[in-house]
Amino acid sequence: MKNQEEFQPKGTVAILVVFVITLIVLWGTIYLTLLQRGGTV
Amino acid sequence: MTAQTYSLSPKEKSFVSWHLLVAMVALALGTLFGPLQAFQHAGLNLYPFLQPLIKSYYQGLTLHAVLNALVWTTFFITGFLTFNVIYGLKRPLRYPTLNQVGFCLMIIGLVMAAIPILLNKASVLYTFYPPMKAHWAYYVGLTLVVVGSWVEGYGFYFTYAAWRKENPGERTPFIAFASVLTMVLWQIATLGVAVEMLTMLIPWSLGLIETVDPQLARTYFWFTGHPLVYFWLLPAYISWYAMLPKQVGGKMFSYSLARLAFWLFLLLSVPLGFHHQYVDPGVPPGWKFVHAVLTFSVFFPSLLTAFTVSASLEYGARKNGGTGLFRWVLALPWRDPSVAAQLLAGLLFFFGGIGGLANAAYNVNLELHNTTFVPGHFHLTVATGVTLSFMGVSYWLVPYLTGKKLWKPDLARWQAWLWFIGMIIFSNAMHVLGILGAPRRTALGDAPYVPAEWNSRLLQVGIGGGILFIGAILYFAVMIGTAFSKVKVEKEVEVPVAEALQPVSQTPAWLDRWAPWVYAALALIVIAYGPQLYEQIRNISLTSPGFRVW
Amino acid sequence: MSTTSLHVHPYEKRWIIFSIVLLIVFTTAVAIAAFALGIQVPSPEQRVDPRTVAVDPNSPWSNPGLREIAPGRYEAYILAQTWQFQPREIRVPVGSRVTFYVTSKDVQHTFKIQDTNINMQIVPGQVSKLTVTFKKPGTYPFICSEYCGIGHAGMFGQIIVTP
Repeated sequence: MKNQEEFQPKGTVAILVVFVITLIVLWGTIYLTLLQRGGTV
Repeated sequence: MTAQTYSLSPKEKSFVSWHLLVAMVALALGTLFGPLQAFQHAGLNLYPFLQPLIKSYYQGLTLHAVLNALVWTTFFITGFLTFNVIYGLKRPLRYPTLNQVGFCLMIIGLVMAAIPILLNKASVLYTFYPPMKAHWAYYVGLTLVVVGSWVEGYGFYFTYAAWRKENPGERTPFIAFASVLTMVLWQIATLGVAVEMLTMLIPWSLGLIETVDPQLARTYFWFTGHPLVYFWLLPAYISWYAMLPKQVGGKMFSYSLARLAFWLFLLLSVPLGFHHQYVDPGVPPGWKFVHAVLTFSVFFPSLLTAFTVSASLEYGARKNGGTGLFRWVLALPWRDPSVAAQLLAGLLFFFGGIGGLANAAYNVNLELHNTTFVPGHFHLTVATGVTLSFMGVSYWLVPYLTGKKLWKPDLARWQAWLWFIGMIIFSNAMHVLGILGAPRRTALGDAPYVPAEWNSRLLQVGIGGGILFIGAILYFAVMIGTAFSKVKVEKEVEVPVAEALQPVSQTPAWLDRWAPWVYAALALIVIAYGPQLYEQIRNISLTSPGFRVW
Repeated sequence: MSTTSLHVHPYEKRWIIFSIVLLIVFTTAVAIAAFALGIQVPSPEQRVDPRTVAVDPNSPWSNPGLREIAPGRYEAYILAQTWQFQPREIRVPVGSRVTFYVTSKDVQHTFKIQDTNINMQIVPGQVSKLTVTFKKPGTYPFICSEYCGIGHAGMFGQIIVTP
């Protein structure tokens, strides 16, 4: 258990931050396109 | 170091090899049609040259989809899981004959389904939505493939039970645990399509009943259709969690969370099929929204996987001298084709996840349903995250099984990179076209409504498809070269199974107990599907006769 | 038997919390678009018999087309079949609010109007219904995006929104 506490996966956090930013930008673009195309009811 | 001296017997090795052989032959045939579709989109239609062997784009598309998405995956997976169960439990199959019977059923089913497809009597794609009606042998054949895989699964259960008896109180070794779980998930998931086949499609195609209910058939189909992708994905996750870390010199970062992720997949994979039916007329929006929330929640174990796997790899990279926030990635053994293939597969799988989260987002599906965004998405997931990983696995597994050295590892590495690059070009274009409104499953080269602004993207689809095809050829060259090579491995290939960073004995006992998780999964299915299934079956309208429209 | 509890690295703990928050935010965004902004998915409308829907004189799809139900408000009954839509062309003035009722007399199709959020699976026996307001003049192609047989790629029509 000690072994795991000593190891700080900072690089993993860095990669995931980049991933999350990409996710928000791409998903957000698709979502905004949806809003721009308007209602259906 | 624990000594890993256990080895499969020659018979067991050959049994697993047969699975992989059928899988690869299917992939070779199925992949042949990929570039034909991509080129057709780009304005180069090669289908006329295949007359009279292959009658149409859609027959080619059916072959591509069935052979790659159903046959390649199912055969590779049952083979790989068989290997994992035996090697993980370090004991032979309890009833090898049972597994052999299962495999034979799969082969019989495959042949039965292949004949009508090749004769253009089943050009209904791999979703076979009624009331399009294929030859009965197509439905019976596919059903037999599934039943055969069930029988192989029963073989796993008996083997696992025997191991349990021999090793009371011990934690199940991860690769065996995860493999048995994948099979349990598959057996629950395929109930939907089994009911569809047995109560509708098979009697209908045999002429025993005249009409079917296409809406109810869709509900049955997608009960199976989504967890199907987890059946494809989990074996790749087994490799990413438990094998890849060893290959890069690391350890499993969290043995417990790896197990938790698998349990969550078992719990959440099935009760969310309505997210494939968001724009169906016959399902109420309330239930669609419930399934949307459940779909988002099954994204969670994948986010967990992203962290755990990445940290396991980082641990290995840092031990190899990797430094920096991002630079450690370069310290991974990229020269090993098995590692390169799986790292690139994982990288593109991130983007597959993003597209999946868009498809799954309830009304966002109005923008994307049945557009090229969807095949763009699943070529990142099943055709890369899964398929490229399986290719990576085969770069060590085939030498292990055959005792032959991997033929031309350089070509294998090129294969991984070409697949990666080709897929980026292909799938990016498919996603963009989808948002612009391009329909999927359509011979776009013949479509009169294609606006000029799509043309550059359609060309990219063709270019990407071409590069992928070269990648595929390299894969088969390496596999054939290895099989026929005369160069034996010096000593048996070491099976990469990573140790855990924490002692395995510290895994909580509730992460190794089946009953609560399986019951909870079944309960969640009853809650999420029960009311709608009851409603749709009670109001069944058997009003659709069959059509042959190709 | 040990009774160890689940051990999670502090970094991963934070990632788990963040993941859950992120998924809740996305779910909320979707719910707002659906329930506040009226971008909704189809709901069960009515059942029909695909064998008679195109010929039964009481069925609106025996005479598919556009009906004006109030000034600027229309109902469009569209019949999907291999491999065409009936009618193939609809003309409405800009600002019109059109409710589409689409069904199939044979296999499944998809009715998708480009540059709008109208995208519905057309399942024989069911009626798919959604509404759209055409705010800009122009030509809006509607296409079939579900494989429906050999002539599928040619199955389309258009809505002409006049100024």
